[in-house]
Amino acid sequence: MENVHRYNSANEISLKVWAKSIRRNLVRMVARNGQGYIQQGLGAADLFTYLYFSEARMDVNDPTWEERDRIFLSTAHNSALFHATLAERGFLEDAELETYTKDGSKLEINVSERLGALVEATCGSLGQGLSVAVGVAQSAKRQNRHFRSYVVLGDGELQEGQVWEAAMYAASNKLDNICLIVDLNNLQVEGNTQNVMIMDPIDDKFSAFGWEVLSIDGHNFNALGDAFQKARCTFHKPTVILAQTIVGKGVPFLENKMSHNMVLPADVAAQCLSILGSGHE
Amino acid sequence: MSENLHLGDFTQKVGTSPIPNYYGDALVTLAKNDPKIVALTGDLTPATECDLFRDTFPDRFFNLGIAEANMIGVAAGMARCGDVPFVHSFSVFLTRRAFDQVAMQVAYPRLNVKLAGFLPGLTTLLGVSHQSIDDFALMRSLPNMTIIEPSGPSQMAASLRAAASIDGPVYLRMHRATETISAAKIEHKIELGKGQMLSNGNDAIIFACGHMVAEALGAAKLLKKIGISVAVANMHTLKPFDTDFVVEHATRTGVAISAENHSIIGGLGSAVSEALAERHANTNVKFKRLGIMDTFAEGASTPYLFNKYGLSAKHIFSAVSDLLEIK
Repeated sequence: MENVHRYNSANEISLKVWAKSIRRNLVRMVARNGQGYIQQGLGAADLFTYLYFSEARMDVNDPTWEERDRIFLSTAHNSALFHATLAERGFLEDAELETYTKDGSKLEINVSERLGALVEATCGSLGQGLSVAVGVAQSAKRQNRHFRSYVVLGDGELQEGQVWEAAMYAASNKLDNICLIVDLNNLQVEGNTQNVMIMDPIDDKFSAFGWEVLSIDGHNFNALGDAFQKARCTFHKPTVILAQTIVGKGVPFLENKMSHNMVLPADVAAQCLSILGSGHE
Repeated sequence: MSENLHLGDFTQKVGTSPIPNYYGDALVTLAKNDPKIVALTGDLTPATECDLFRDTFPDRFFNLGIAEANMIGVAAGMARCGDVPFVHSFSVFLTRRAFDQVAMQVAYPRLNVKLAGFLPGLTTLLGVSHQSIDDFALMRSLPNMTIIEPSGPSQMAASLRAAASIDGPVYLRMHRATETISAAKIEHKIELGKGQMLSNGNDAIIFACGHMVAEALGAAKLLKKIGISVAVANMHTLKPFDTDFVVEHATRTGVAISAENHSIIGGLGSAVSEALAERHANTNVKFKRLGIMDTFAEGASTPYLFNKYGLSAKHIFSAVSDLLEIK
């Protein structure tokens, strides 16, 4: 299957270059129209880079390849990052990124399947992505197919009850072909998640629901690699990777700035880009 | 002693002999010819007639537990992999409880998911929590959704086959049979999206669906006795709605009644009103909506509730008489 581009051997240096390029595009996208979630995007960029470049099986020449791994973006508002990642991976033209959030564009602020292939479900209404991913995993088992179902949730999203309905079902039915990644950035609309709702201990909650739990640093590519590898080798139960991330990661003056929909003025964006490099390094 | 205990399923009455599962049997027949069909239930397998499917196709049967929101999402995921999920619960839980999930994960992506809801309207003593009086309103408002309510056991299998013939989301509003019907009465096909004229008449027309079809036929008989000729039409497809049919026959008779086991807001009555108003076919058409009159109800027997909430043949009789100004 020579058309299937995999980067299983992607080394850390390549991953860092891709992640930086994605972050630059992210900054440009959010700054251009004054819309988009910059802090969450920067925070999850390493996670997305690893998932799309090193973990998931997909084919840039055939985005609708039936045996592709499915990646569900339940946090559909993390769209600038999603689109920038698809572009970096070769599924979107860089020029298309310039239309982000503009009237008539398919690149919406909450990712919708108007975009086309690789939007596996429309998930702007939080709490729904895991259920659909579980359905895909269930059908894959039933049909004896070997693709995997990945789904990214935010930590604030864990407040939605449906997540726990889906978690209970996945464990109850031994769906080991699903891998949930929780982007633990501690941020929701009204600030720090722990101030809105005490959710800790999240790891114990998932353990109690019958999941294999892996807690890692979401910016460490080696840790991400190990975790995804463990998930693939865990049988008879689903795996959740609790990836601790830092909002604004990669731009020191933005790091840990807990702002859900931060405005990014042109001069600040220019500063960000100079820190993130020209793109020609 | 315990082997004599009847395992209740919410609808089968104590001491009665089993009634054929007109829906459940038809689903199994359909699934024998289509390996893509899977059945999902939420802890209500016998009450939604899925026990035969469970026993015939254990590998294609999924019990999602008491978690309807997740059940809809899982069905959507399975449909995205090419399976054809038939999702079962009581109507109220599939539509009102999981409305956002149905909207975003089934209707918006136009997935091939069939929602089979049971206990329509005021047909259960389980009370207000279990009575779906707004399911038509909810499902009609969703783009891409098809809605079918068979008039009774004779149309259950045909409705199911009609739903399966569409590649897209369908809401089936089902009521379990309370008695066995003769094989001759079984209809083999319904014409999806078309009004079905059951008896002709020139003085008025009753547009009915579900349970109210039988009540409407009863009212027409009573009216015939006093010399009034009333047409009765079964509007089994609430969406897409047969607007041409409604306008044609309402205009022809000049007097129209809608009758539904559902709130008068958002269901059949609204669909008929919209058709008549937008086509302004004949502003002289006298029209009344019969149904649940914008109120919640309570748990009781069906005849009691139909009588109390204005859903019986005699209520239709009175409404037609009033419109015709018969003293």
